[in-house]
Amino acid sequence: MPDPIKIRATVKGSDGEVRVLLPHPMESGLRHDASGHAMPAHYITSVILSLNGRPVIEGGLGTAVSANPLFAFQLTGVKAGDKLAVAWLDNKGQRGSAESTFTAA
Amino acid sequence: MNGRRNFLQSFGSAMALGGLLGLGLLKPGPALAVDFNRAAFDTKTAADALRLIGAAGAETSRDIFLKVPEIAENGASVPVEVASNIPGTTRLSVLVDKNPFPLALQFNFAPGAVARFQARLKMAETSRLRIVATAGDKHYTVFREVKVTVGGCGE
Repeated sequence: MPDPIKIRATVKGSDGEVRVLLPHPMESGLRHDASGHAMPAHYITSVILSLNGRPVIEGGLGTAVSANPLFAFQLTGVKAGDKLAVAWLDNKGQRGSAESTFTAA
Repeated sequence: MNGRRNFLQSFGSAMALGGLLGLGLLKPGPALAVDFNRAAFDTKTAADALRLIGAAGAETSRDIFLKVPEIAENGASVPVEVASNIPGTTRLSVLVDKNPFPLALQFNFAPGAVARFQARLKMAETSRLRIVATAGDKHYTVFREVKVTVGGCGE
């Protein structure tokens, strides 16, 4: 079981700031292990952020996103108590999701 | 180009599924079939990637903010901050020209999301880092050279 997704969602005025950390190896498929065997690609291919159930940001990722992707975003028209959900899918069909609530900064 | 229509359609269907997700009727699943051209992520030259994302003729713009270090000591984690001040920006794409797969990342922004983000990228070697902002049917670009002392793609 991988580490849980971390979400920080804060509101200042009506602006929401979101930081998400998605624990994932983001293996490019170009590296070799200690014994010289190629390590298969294993990386997140898509991410969706939803505000109160409505998708607001969708991402397509390649292998060049660093391991354990950390993203920051800005939303408008947000108030404390609004729900932020994050979901990801990787190239092996594995998924992860988490939800958090906006709090006043 | 019908990129915008695809984008709106994908958001429309994602919204419908999102509603079901909220009701717990549907586990997160096929809803994540985000509508990006995956072929663009698999291509090995920046020119091909730009063509596949429809941005081959992007014009240079001063209205895209790009913050990256001039010298990245660790190519495995290069912080990037991007913001588009171009009205109606719905998509931001990041390319690292000399990476084995230049297209690194794309984000679509629906109403309510500001066209800006921060991320960390792997860079194999010193390269041009390129941002493409899509607004309506138009593409705008800005680029910067980033020196990499230790590459981060691990050959």
